[in-house]
Amino acid sequence: MSRTRSELTAYAGLSSSILAVALVLGAPTPWLGLIGALVLACVPAGAAVMCWIDAGENAAQAGLTLAVSLTILALASAIMIWLSAWQPRALLVLAGAAVISCALRLRVARRAGAPR
Amino acid sequence: MSAIDHSLRVAPATRIASLAGRIQPQLVLPLIGLGAWAYGVTQLRPSAIGDYGLLASANAFFVLGLVALIAGFVVELARSSPRGWLLTLNLIGLVVAIHATIPIINGGTPEYAWVYKHVGIISSFAHYGRITDPSNIYDQWPALFAAVAAISSLAHVNALSFAAWAPLAFELADALLLFAVFRLLVRDRRVAYLAVGLYEGIIAWVGQDYLSPQAFAFLLWLAMAYVILRWLRAPDAESASRRIAQLRARLVTGMTPAAATTRRQRLVALVLVAAIYFVIVAAHQLTPYVILAGVGALTLLDLLRPRWLLLPLAAIAGAYLAPRYGLISSNFGGLFSGGNPLQNASGSHGTYHPGGEALTAQIVHYLAAAMWLLALGAVLRRRKTVGSVLIPALLAFSPLLILGAQSYGGEAIYRVYLFSAPWCALLIAGLLLELRMPRRLPIRWPLIAVVCLAALFAGLQGLYGPVSVDAFTHSELRASQWLYAHAPRGSLLVLPDDNFPTLQAADYSSYDLQVMPSDPQLGQAWLDEGNPADVQTWIADLGHQTAYLVVSRSMRADAHYFGAPRGYEKLVSEIPSALHGAVVYRDADTTIYRLTFA
Repeated sequence: MSRTRSELTAYAGLSSSILAVALVLGAPTPWLGLIGALVLACVPAGAAVMCWIDAGENAAQAGLTLAVSLTILALASAIMIWLSAWQPRALLVLAGAAVISCALRLRVARRAGAPR
Repeated sequence: MSAIDHSLRVAPATRIASLAGRIQPQLVLPLIGLGAWAYGVTQLRPSAIGDYGLLASANAFFVLGLVALIAGFVVELARSSPRGWLLTLNLIGLVVAIHATIPIINGGTPEYAWVYKHVGIISSFAHYGRITDPSNIYDQWPALFAAVAAISSLAHVNALSFAAWAPLAFELADALLLFAVFRLLVRDRRVAYLAVGLYEGIIAWVGQDYLSPQAFAFLLWLAMAYVILRWLRAPDAESASRRIAQLRARLVTGMTPAAATTRRQRLVALVLVAAIYFVIVAAHQLTPYVILAGVGALTLLDLLRPRWLLLPLAAIAGAYLAPRYGLISSNFGGLFSGGNPLQNASGSHGTYHPGGEALTAQIVHYLAAAMWLLALGAVLRRRKTVGSVLIPALLAFSPLLILGAQSYGGEAIYRVYLFSAPWCALLIAGLLLELRMPRRLPIRWPLIAVVCLAALFAGLQGLYGPVSVDAFTHSELRASQWLYAHAPRGSLLVLPDDNFPTLQAADYSSYDLQVMPSDPQLGQAWLDEGNPADVQTWIADLGHQTAYLVVSRSMRADAHYFGAPRGYEKLVSEIPSALHGAVVYRDADTTIYRLTFA
């Protein structure tokens, strides 16, 4: 596994999760809130998955992170619609899950790279 | 031999390459291109765009900007080791120039009347948090709409405020994934870059990248294709029997070898494929079956592992469709309703109004024919090492199978083109880069530049040709919002032409929206709008005491561009007198009348 690529994905997941939550919950203008919501839709959930997988190409790593994020967001949103349980803010859980997954990934990487 | 003699004997191509290597115009061409395009866009006036579209009324800066972007791209591509960042910059610039132009000149108002229907579903999900209209086919395939409703709700902004930018976002994301997929299939990364550049031109006209389930499903399909081709390809030597192995060996000659994968990677890939495919199935009606055709073709030639991959995908599609089949049946006449491929390939309407529409249609027909013919030529040229083009060829031509089963309301051919285009672009790019040219005739790169420009401008004519019809003004949108805010729920809303931004409100389903049956593009056209008595009778027969009749600039442009509905102008002039319509809203572009029936 290319540590650099998957670790970069983990860093992207961590930073985008924090940024997305901050903007969605505290943006002073709707446009900043929209940027936060788009970041939440496009990065954290995919990064949580792709930080464990090396796609073999930078463009593929970024593209799959985006596509997996959108897949998870669409699935979660559709389930809320089907169940008539619409709570969009619950999607911030995706950012939380991403923080846990990406932090774990970086911890594993650090342990693997630490001298014995 | 002196230095002068030597320089005289150097082939022209070498001298040009040497000069270009020193001057490197490609370093500034993207900036010049984007600068010229941006200045050109500021000089465009939507009201000055006629029937022949934006290109016909564009200024030189706009056109030169696009040419400079292509020139910079091709010049860099011609280097022996092109710089990826520079090619990427050119491609991003090109995608931005193609897809940001219309939102900029329209002030961010979304193009296409049907985008507003999608916004209506999104608004209803965001407002009510549930399916409000189970009889609406969009409500039953809600994945994209629910996702956008979530974004809209989290940001507290209406989807109308960002929907216009969806084509740019989708195309940038598509380009990223396409490049990744292409790199899996070709060794020379120049082929991958050129294919993405060609794709952006040849796909521009088909208009499938607006805020829509198919654009979303297409993006996810590209991700799914990457996962399949990266982790689920059959190992090179493995085959079920000796005979199959021999046949397969002949077919895969020249194919890029499958990457080594572990069992765990394959398992993760299978989970990803199933999850992505399920969301595609829940987002769009037709895309899952185009994907099944592609995966089926790869399976048939024993190129995938596990061999049974197609079965769970088909099961997911079937299980989702079964309880909703009634809607497919009522909207499209069933899954296998049209077994006439030629008829299904003829598009949404077979005749074109002379003038702008006919010219634009002719150009994109030539572009589509050239795309498929060149792709076929690329396959035939590689017939001895067919493996090198087998996967793109299967994925390029398998979508055509859909035409054997469905017309999808006349839209199937556009979806087939969309799904075929990436792989055709890859085949054509390979063909162009492999063309053998006489050494003394350095025309390979000029030829590639000409092909790229031809594809781009033909595609742009298709995209920008009907812009005076497809684009809406702010005042038209305001009029539509006024109508939904002021007309009592349950009201009858009547459109003489369906080209108006309707149904964008969250409670769209509370209104009875009717379009006059007078446009042959929309089905049976028996009502003559030029005959007010017939119109009055038709509206009265709809059973409401009050009706809101809307006429607008975009309807007039639509009737003029398509030559239908024919009596539109006469109807507009006679509404106040013959139909006794009372004006309840009027601005520069729209008038709304209230008609009362005893």
